[in-house]
Amino acid sequence: MSDIFFLVLRRMRTPLIVLISVYAIATLGMTLIPGEDPSGEPWRMGFFHAFYFVSFMGTTIGFGEIPYPFTDLQRAWVLICIYTSVFAWLYGIGNVLRLLQDDTFVGAVAQRAFRLSIKRIDLPFHIICGYGETGQFIVRGLSELGIQAVIIDLHSDRLHSLELEELGVPAIVLSGDITDPENLLAAGINHPCCRGVIAVTQEDHTNLQIAVASKLINPNVPVICRSEIEDEADNMASVGTDAIINPYLIFGRRLSLLTTNPALHRIHNWFINQHSAEHINERITHEGLPAGNWIICGYGRFGKAVEHYSSDNHIKIKIIDIDLEATEAPRGSVVGRGTEADTLIEAGIESANVIVAATNDDANNLSILITAKQLNSTIVTIGRVSKESNNKLFIHANCDYIMRRSQVVANEVLTIISRPLVTKFLQYSSSLSHAATDDLITEICRLTNDSDPVTWRLLIDQQNAPAIVNFIDSQQSLTIGQVSSNAKLPAAEGIPLLLLRGSMSHLLPDPSMPLKIGDQLLFCAGRGQTLLAQRLSHNIELLDNLINQNQHHIPLLRWLQRRRQNKTPN
Amino acid sequence: MNLEKVIFAFFIILALSLNFSFFIGEISRVSHHNIYELFAALVVSLICTVMKFGDRTQFGSTVLASSLVVDLLLIAAAITWGISTFSSGSITPTTMATVTSLAGGALIANLLSVILLIIETSQIRK
Repeated sequence: MSDIFFLVLRRMRTPLIVLISVYAIATLGMTLIPGEDPSGEPWRMGFFHAFYFVSFMGTTIGFGEIPYPFTDLQRAWVLICIYTSVFAWLYGIGNVLRLLQDDTFVGAVAQRAFRLSIKRIDLPFHIICGYGETGQFIVRGLSELGIQAVIIDLHSDRLHSLELEELGVPAIVLSGDITDPENLLAAGINHPCCRGVIAVTQEDHTNLQIAVASKLINPNVPVICRSEIEDEADNMASVGTDAIINPYLIFGRRLSLLTTNPALHRIHNWFINQHSAEHINERITHEGLPAGNWIICGYGRFGKAVEHYSSDNHIKIKIIDIDLEATEAPRGSVVGRGTEADTLIEAGIESANVIVAATNDDANNLSILITAKQLNSTIVTIGRVSKESNNKLFIHANCDYIMRRSQVVANEVLTIISRPLVTKFLQYSSSLSHAATDDLITEICRLTNDSDPVTWRLLIDQQNAPAIVNFIDSQQSLTIGQVSSNAKLPAAEGIPLLLLRGSMSHLLPDPSMPLKIGDQLLFCAGRGQTLLAQRLSHNIELLDNLINQNQHHIPLLRWLQRRRQNKTPN
Repeated sequence: MNLEKVIFAFFIILALSLNFSFFIGEISRVSHHNIYELFAALVVSLICTVMKFGDRTQFGSTVLASSLVVDLLLIAAAITWGISTFSSGSITPTTMATVTSLAGGALIANLLSVILLIIETSQIRK
């Protein structure tokens, strides 16, 4: 407040002094210049009348010559005064208007509004550093989850696009340099509701700086960083960054999983990409990627990651890169861009099963994919999109699996933030047998009619599930099966995926297991369904009706039966 | 020498001098107190106030406060004078005494501003 106030006052000094002087001189002149009353007697205007006259003259209202018509000399003086006072007013108002558009002033106002909004936050919030393509994905996802986002970005024009977005929870925005610790403090890193800092700027080094600053200012706040360079990632890990997300490594791992265990990949893909689904060919999700001969065009960070994770899956990899020396490509690689048929044929496109267009140029990647399809119509194409808006072109080019860097990072970040149980489930899911994975997929497909499922977490404590806690407290047993499905509410069925009890986790828990207070249960269900567990958690009557078979229609009778039951515990 | 400082000191001392020149004289004698002096004192004091707008130093804010006091008292004096002339056309000795004593009060505040100015200047020397 005070900053803006003082800034306005300081800028208004000169215009105000000019205005006061003009008024003073005009008033003084009016009292000094002799006039005449109607009888022709000499008369002088008093200060009161003079100030009255100057006041309406200065603002160009003009009530006329009062109290008596002016003499010529008076009129001459008034003429001078009119022009001077109009100029003084214009100067003053112009100054105010200029001040309102002034960058310093606008900045001060924005800074103040930002600090005020941060102070008023009473919900958990995350600080998002960098509002690029990734930042946009994350902010949208957080808003869907009802989590407040605080955004800091250097480029104010990027932030303007936020105004056009229809967010459920409007984000709080500051345009400023995030590497300045002052801005991190202003964004509320020490605020009791701050749940984490997410550094997703383009530059790895900036993300590292944010991680260092955050950990030094408040070591208790979790920090998630995007990193694409190994060295910087090591650096981030050494300062205690809680999660480091490298889109290339993540996607490389996904490709490897898709080759070795397509069913598990499908489950991962469902649960991680709950906010925006990846574009992947339906046939490939079922069959997986064929092993055999792969061609990777572009041996950069993405190409290396794909090679690293796929090399031990009985896959022969052929690299195509324009500069084999600089990228340290293995022997036998082909020089070229891969956009020309010659290079592709030299790399053995006719006998290849999969081609990965991994260069950092979207146009080249598209050209590679199209040429490859022409040479070998059965080849599976995997394309990397660098610029989000080009995604559509890759879909039109019939690319089988599209790697969108920002999407990969954003989905990973959102899963870490909002679905801790999903992360755990995915970790343990690798221990599932192929048969169990296939069964789970059949189950899920039956439940969701072959569309994407969503996950929901049931936390059995007084705040999140008072009805269930009450039920268990009254010595009645409630099994997992009873809260996951009921014949009377078929649409509300959910599949229990993981039970977390203390430090023990049970993957795909047995439905006959009784629930205990403090349990965390992960369910999966169709999109847009209200789960049975979700309905039971707050509704004691429904619990009574469905589990205890207390089916009287009249509330009084229901209540009586409940009393009777409680008195004689089974 | 700082031109801004000279101008400010000039105005603050001018305000004190004008205020004093209006105040001096027998308290209720109309002929001892010139209305133009009151007008000049008020205008100069207003300018002093504006000059200290937005000054965040301790000295600046104290001077701003005392010059606001001067404005208040002098405006009150001017209004008293103006209203008393509505009916009779000239000012009565009783009202004159009120106007003069208000100006006297303003004089104290003006004096305070000048003292503050002197203290500030002497501190810079050290």
